[in-house]
Amino acid sequence: MTEPIIAFDRVVFSYDSVEVLHQISFTLERGEIVGLLGPNGAGKSTTIKIIAGILTPGEGSVSVAGLPLPERAVDVKQRIGYVPENAMLFESLTGQEFLELSGRLHGVEEETLQMRIREMLETFGLSSDRSSRLDTYSKGMRQKILLAAALLHNPELILLDEPLSGLDVNAAIMIKDLIAALAAGGRTILYSSHVLDVVEKICSRALIIHQGSLIADGTLDSLRASTGRESLEDVFRTLTHSANVEPGVNRIVTALGS
Amino acid sequence: MNAAWQVIERFLRNSPRTRALMKRLGIDPVQYWLLVDLFGTLSDRRELPGHLGHTDMSLDKASWLFYFLSGIMAFFFAIAGMPLVVYFLVFMLVSGFLLLTTLLSETNNSLINPVEGLVLAHQPINGATYTSAKLTHILRILLHLVPALNLIPAFAALLISAPWYYPLLQLAAGFAVGIVMALFCCALFGWLIRFVPPARLKSVGFAAEMSSWLMYVMMQFTPNLHLKVRVSHWLPSGTAARVAIASACVVIAFAAVIFGLRALSGDYLARVSAIARGGSGRKYRARRSYLGETVACLFGGPSVRAGFDYVWRMMTRDWQFRRQMVGLIPITAMLIGGGWQGARISPFSGKFTMMHVLPHAFGFAFFMVCSALPYGPDRKGAWLFLLAPTGAFRGFARGVFARLLSAMLAPQVVLLPFLAWSWGLRDAALFLAYSAAVSAVYLALELRLVEGMPFTRQQESMGNPETMIILFAGGLVVSIAVALQYFLIFRTVILVVAVTAVLAVAAWLIARSSLESFEISIRFHLGLLSNESKGIYTEVNG
Repeated sequence: MTEPIIAFDRVVFSYDSVEVLHQISFTLERGEIVGLLGPNGAGKSTTIKIIAGILTPGEGSVSVAGLPLPERAVDVKQRIGYVPENAMLFESLTGQEFLELSGRLHGVEEETLQMRIREMLETFGLSSDRSSRLDTYSKGMRQKILLAAALLHNPELILLDEPLSGLDVNAAIMIKDLIAALAAGGRTILYSSHVLDVVEKICSRALIIHQGSLIADGTLDSLRASTGRESLEDVFRTLTHSANVEPGVNRIVTALGS
Repeated sequence: MNAAWQVIERFLRNSPRTRALMKRLGIDPVQYWLLVDLFGTLSDRRELPGHLGHTDMSLDKASWLFYFLSGIMAFFFAIAGMPLVVYFLVFMLVSGFLLLTTLLSETNNSLINPVEGLVLAHQPINGATYTSAKLTHILRILLHLVPALNLIPAFAALLISAPWYYPLLQLAAGFAVGIVMALFCCALFGWLIRFVPPARLKSVGFAAEMSSWLMYVMMQFTPNLHLKVRVSHWLPSGTAARVAIASACVVIAFAAVIFGLRALSGDYLARVSAIARGGSGRKYRARRSYLGETVACLFGGPSVRAGFDYVWRMMTRDWQFRRQMVGLIPITAMLIGGGWQGARISPFSGKFTMMHVLPHAFGFAFFMVCSALPYGPDRKGAWLFLLAPTGAFRGFARGVFARLLSAMLAPQVVLLPFLAWSWGLRDAALFLAYSAAVSAVYLALELRLVEGMPFTRQQESMGNPETMIILFAGGLVVSIAVALQYFLIFRTVILVVAVTAVLAVAAWLIARSSLESFEISIRFHLGLLSNESKGIYTEVNG
């Protein structure tokens, strides 16, 4: 059996004294597309940041491609592509400059880098804006730049935190197809999103985190079977006990009417 | 100095030996130069607010100011025939203090930068590479400021019979002091980054930045501290024992610096990026504000309350604003010191005391507040104001003014019982009424400095020349005002009452006019934002 690309073993993480991940364990195999689901504040982004080597777990062990974290963080970062939830960029750089910076920091050969940047900007429809500063880009354009930066160095593992946020329909369809193609090429994709339809379409397996604990880990079919629900949305609502939203809706309507 | 730096940089970039040395130290040469170029570009394009610029707009200004000040000092010391040893020590002390103040601020801005951390934290950069690229920025500042502080004095010393080699000696000593200060600052922030939780890092960094001023203030209050403490009394009498203690201190200091620098090279980027997630960690309890309710009731309803509460909450929580208020510390210290002495003598006694400066000091303090008020790191939150009905801005502007005025008047109200106890109720009440009227005039005028919605604009570069001109001109006007106040107004009680009444009316009239300008400026600024956002969100794909 091959070594898992991500091994997350009984990981505990706290911000200050507040524990946000409680003994989470899972593994990801190469070539998988795994959806990471959970309500707001469940700990999805924290999980992704730990895998990206940005945060260090308080307890437990994490390894990526057999490399332990945080000891081999630099080597791990060399192997991953990460699209963060919030599009933090150096606003005064142009799209071209930002991609060059990202590629060169990953040690991509100059000729290859320029070719990849050209192709990605062309594909994402950003060629004419390559020399514009990022602070003039729309949210969708910035998201495309982040996606391009994450892929430039051809990473083994791609961590996507709400990657379709702000993208138009065409770009979103293209990204979904791209994810499938990358996985077919042997890359592993961990895809965190609130958009369950997309997860249902592109992921073969889902991890559901609720209040810092991993409450479900399995293929979509097995999750449907275990909960007796048809859609992933219903599965999610059942597992996170958010099935009945009516009282909350009524409270807001009442408050607005007062 | 730019040319010298470029020559050194070109040599270092192309030298295989430098590359080999860097690799041996754990620094990736390619990434190092990429980061040096990146920080330079970001600084050139004003993306690093608070930094002394890379293309040296601000660094040049700071350098010229230091050349000017050190030149004047050297000129006067030379004319006064100051002994060479004292001359040397004074300039080393001045260099040390000014470099420490500048470098603490620069190190804080450079090393505790969560945005940079967030963008770069997932890149495969090791700590040593990142830290060395950051330290290069500090070195560049030293290369500018040390000659600015020492070059003219070094040659001016030749006028007081210094030996021919003295200029070299002072410059070398200046660089040594600069390097010690730089190492101290980096080590200090290394320790902080290692041991302070990310959520508290910004606040503690801010406190560290103030430490040089706090030292200055302490020295003001305890000028003879070294005599009182009598360090020699605590030391052993034997020379050998003293040498051993001194050696131990040097070793400990050296170890502390090494540890601090090494701490920067660990998981530094991850820790700094965690600041953004951590926030201050502090929870703010929702409290009923009777003052806010009263202001809203008196001046026009919810929009006044919105401005009143918004500006205060941002002033007390916005770390960028609070950092800019560091400059108020020496003024506050001088005020407290002067006030302590002046509180015993009534301003109506005919004697000049620092209390005569008090109303104008409030004016100066709020000049700084109003100058910093438009800027903030959370400028993207300005969209909220784009949705507000246009009529709301009149009330909002009044709310902002009411909050600033109440913040200005509150300390004067607090002073009343103390001064009444010392001077008598009549003198105290009259003086504070006069002070309130003067400071209200200042505030009404200074409100015009708040261009646009408070806390919604990107910080501009340091050392705005217009601000410097206003400061110099303002200093002259204040001096004349204090002289008039002392020689003419505070001679009779009736005149003070009359002038107070006139100033109060003037403050009211000026405030009305300034509030109109402020409201227009808010709308104008939001209009710009609105146009900008239209541009930003135009889809290109169609």
